[in-house]
Amino acid sequence: MKSKVDIAIIGGGIIGLMTAFELAKRGEESIAVYEKRYIGSGSTFRCGTGIRQQFGDPANIQMMKRSVEKWKTLGEDMEFPKFKFAQTGYLFLLYSEKEVENFKKNVQLQNSYGIPSRIISPEEAREIVPGLDISEVIAASWNHTDGKANPFLAVYGLSRALKRMDVEINEYTEVQEIMVKDSRITGVKTSKGEVKADIVLNAANAWAKILNQKLGLDFPIEPYKHQGIVTEPFKLGEIKPMVVSFKYGGAYLTQKANGGLIGGIALKYGPTWDLTPTYEFLREVSKNFTKIIPALKYMSIIRQWGGYYAETPDHNAVIGKIEEIEGYYLAAGFSGHGFMLAPAVAEGMAELITKGHTSLPLDFYDPYRFKRGELREQAIQMG
Amino acid sequence: MRIQEHPILDFSKKRGRKVTIYFEGEPIEAYEGEPIAEALHAAGIRILNYTHEKNRPRGLFCAIGKCSSCLMVVNGIPNTRTCITLVEDGLRIERQHGSQPLPKDYKPPSWKEAEKREADIIIVGGGPAGLMAGIKAAEKGAKVILMDENPLLGGQLVKQTHKFFGKRDQFAGVRGIKIAEILEKEAKEKGVEIHLETSAIGIFQVGEKRMVAAIKKNKKLMEFYGKAVIVATGAMEKMIPFENNDLPGVYGAGAIQTLMNTYGIEPGKRVLIVGAGNVGVILAYQLLQAKVNVVAVVEAMPKVGAYFVHAAKIRRLGVPILTRHTILRAEGNGKVEHAVIAQIDEKWRPIPGTEKRLDVDVIALAVGLRPSIELLHQAGAQITYARELGGYVVRHDERMETTVRGLFVAGDSSGIEEATTAMLEGKIAGLSAALFVGKAKPDTYEEILQAQRDLDEFRSGPFGKHILEGLKKVMIK
Repeated sequence: MKSKVDIAIIGGGIIGLMTAFELAKRGEESIAVYEKRYIGSGSTFRCGTGIRQQFGDPANIQMMKRSVEKWKTLGEDMEFPKFKFAQTGYLFLLYSEKEVENFKKNVQLQNSYGIPSRIISPEEAREIVPGLDISEVIAASWNHTDGKANPFLAVYGLSRALKRMDVEINEYTEVQEIMVKDSRITGVKTSKGEVKADIVLNAANAWAKILNQKLGLDFPIEPYKHQGIVTEPFKLGEIKPMVVSFKYGGAYLTQKANGGLIGGIALKYGPTWDLTPTYEFLREVSKNFTKIIPALKYMSIIRQWGGYYAETPDHNAVIGKIEEIEGYYLAAGFSGHGFMLAPAVAEGMAELITKGHTSLPLDFYDPYRFKRGELREQAIQMG
Repeated sequence: MRIQEHPILDFSKKRGRKVTIYFEGEPIEAYEGEPIAEALHAAGIRILNYTHEKNRPRGLFCAIGKCSSCLMVVNGIPNTRTCITLVEDGLRIERQHGSQPLPKDYKPPSWKEAEKREADIIIVGGGPAGLMAGIKAAEKGAKVILMDENPLLGGQLVKQTHKFFGKRDQFAGVRGIKIAEILEKEAKEKGVEIHLETSAIGIFQVGEKRMVAAIKKNKKLMEFYGKAVIVATGAMEKMIPFENNDLPGVYGAGAIQTLMNTYGIEPGKRVLIVGAGNVGVILAYQLLQAKVNVVAVVEAMPKVGAYFVHAAKIRRLGVPILTRHTILRAEGNGKVEHAVIAQIDEKWRPIPGTEKRLDVDVIALAVGLRPSIELLHQAGAQITYARELGGYVVRHDERMETTVRGLFVAGDSSGIEEATTAMLEGKIAGLSAALFVGKAKPDTYEEILQAQRDLDEFRSGPFGKHILEGLKKVMIK
């Protein structure tokens, strides 16, 4: 482990690794990532895998549009073609006039930024996913350019690329303290020793608050337990897009590349550090999923796990330069959207660090909005 | 083929009513009380499904619901574990080809509240350990519920036709099948509530109680609430790597015992056994009892692992035990037709020129077991690796309590040994759990200590040395 680097990144999740990748691509030569367990273990490997542009505000729409562009070429960019962005779409099932009204507005906004989303009929929805029960569905919001990706392959590909680019990845190395002198970053104190650094990025998501508090900083990020399930595999192609239903539990579900179903519902617990899977979730997920696609009643759940949504009051992340401490940056509190947003956030963050500004709308995630009482409209969130 | 005559077992009495099931449209005769895969085997059907990736044929392997090698489409429902799903008149059964499409069904299930059952102690697993735990806990006045995913109680005892060793009060001289009957009778007399064909799917904390969620008969969700849970889920067969080791006809030793000793079905005509530990050698003898030809037993180690008397018995009956030999590959079109074996050198490499091609239709793997720890792991108990005990094992203390308070373990799921030790551990777990839930009187400690002394004594022989090494890694001190 190096004792001095230019940029120290706390957190070996998708945000930390992707930002390291963007920084290294821009010629930064001395970068290190510190992960307290193994890379991906915090929230990335526990995520629902979805990547969508169907948001309800300009900033998230633009960020996700950029993200999708970058997800599409990530396999090539990291010279790991096994990683593929599956552009299989997102299908929101709508059950009431009010829901349709809302989504029509969103679609208009999305269209104005060049996202080809549209409102379709229940019959069209069933053409996309043949197993749907559409008896209560009155319309659906559909965007074929949304999709999903395998977080394990993304992290593995990134780690290989980073090693090639001489970025140091330190696993089982916990950052215990961020070192500051005269309001300037001086480095990080890890479980394996101190490292001098000029710039520190806190990408610890659910854990970001702990390090901030030690510095006397307070940004509202709280860990909530959400859960996911995977079923035994069935024939690939039965459920291509991510299917979302707010009526049935705030559920999201799709088929993974091996044919198993992955998904979750909005049932959450917290704030808590406990990640023990609950029976309540197991029952509710079964109940709600079979309302959406009845034939799933024949499929066995083979895994259930918990993970954190690092939530903020408006369900939007906390991203930016920290004014009180020179050289300190924060990208955390992704409220369940970290995986999908990662490529754009990483690009914006790399620009911010190397150039001092970015063309991406990172302002939207301004860490000081909470203090000023300028909360954003809640991001569309499920699961 | 069904076994008509057997020196110990009388299948004409055991078999249930005749029913007809349909395999890919063809009617097949079966008996009520036997699982689908076993009935198909009796009718000569070895291939149960084809794999997703390479379309390779697969057949039965474990026959106790643990390995997923027997998945078929039953009445339109894919991924059914046919080795533990009982036949019913008129069942439609199809081979599964890779991943199956979702059944065409647009009717959401009607959700009822799950049936709730409550007791002091919930036991998962009705083999020697689970049954003994249930008997002992119930004896102390605890209300006990016991579930098992198989259709029969007794675990692996129901297929053991040989007489047990050991002390008189540990069923020495009694056949395994008989021990199963005795334990079952006793458990029922003591008021243990029994649920068969009931698969535990998870252990959860619900308020102050622990809840075991389970599925009965592939259909019904059940919730079992208790203050303590004992997991005695046994073990599953290990597999070793060789060419075509997935060919139908390559069976776990236990599967062969299930076929012939539990259901009276001939596993094949000519058998090669891999592994000369107790399981392999006892299996050879049981095959001979069922008038099946045992071509050879191969053993990679330089010495036979089984008890001397067992090995001597099969040698007397003309079965060669070939030490320092291994299996190189299975051959056959859709099912085992030949096995190629060879001698190995000190570095475990096959010696060229020593290959022999044996004419067999069954290859029995008796290469060890690994504990079934999935439920314990899911419940949050600490797991550790102990090669001597068969692999990953749950950590536990002398009273069989795991690192999760109120969660106990017994039998092979706490480390691979044998039925006698499983029963002793079951006794300790049952008594400890009865103490934990406040039903047993303090003098129960004495009984626990006695059972611990019996365990120590049983493990004091040469076979126990290995186990004790493993337990050192596992025991919470």
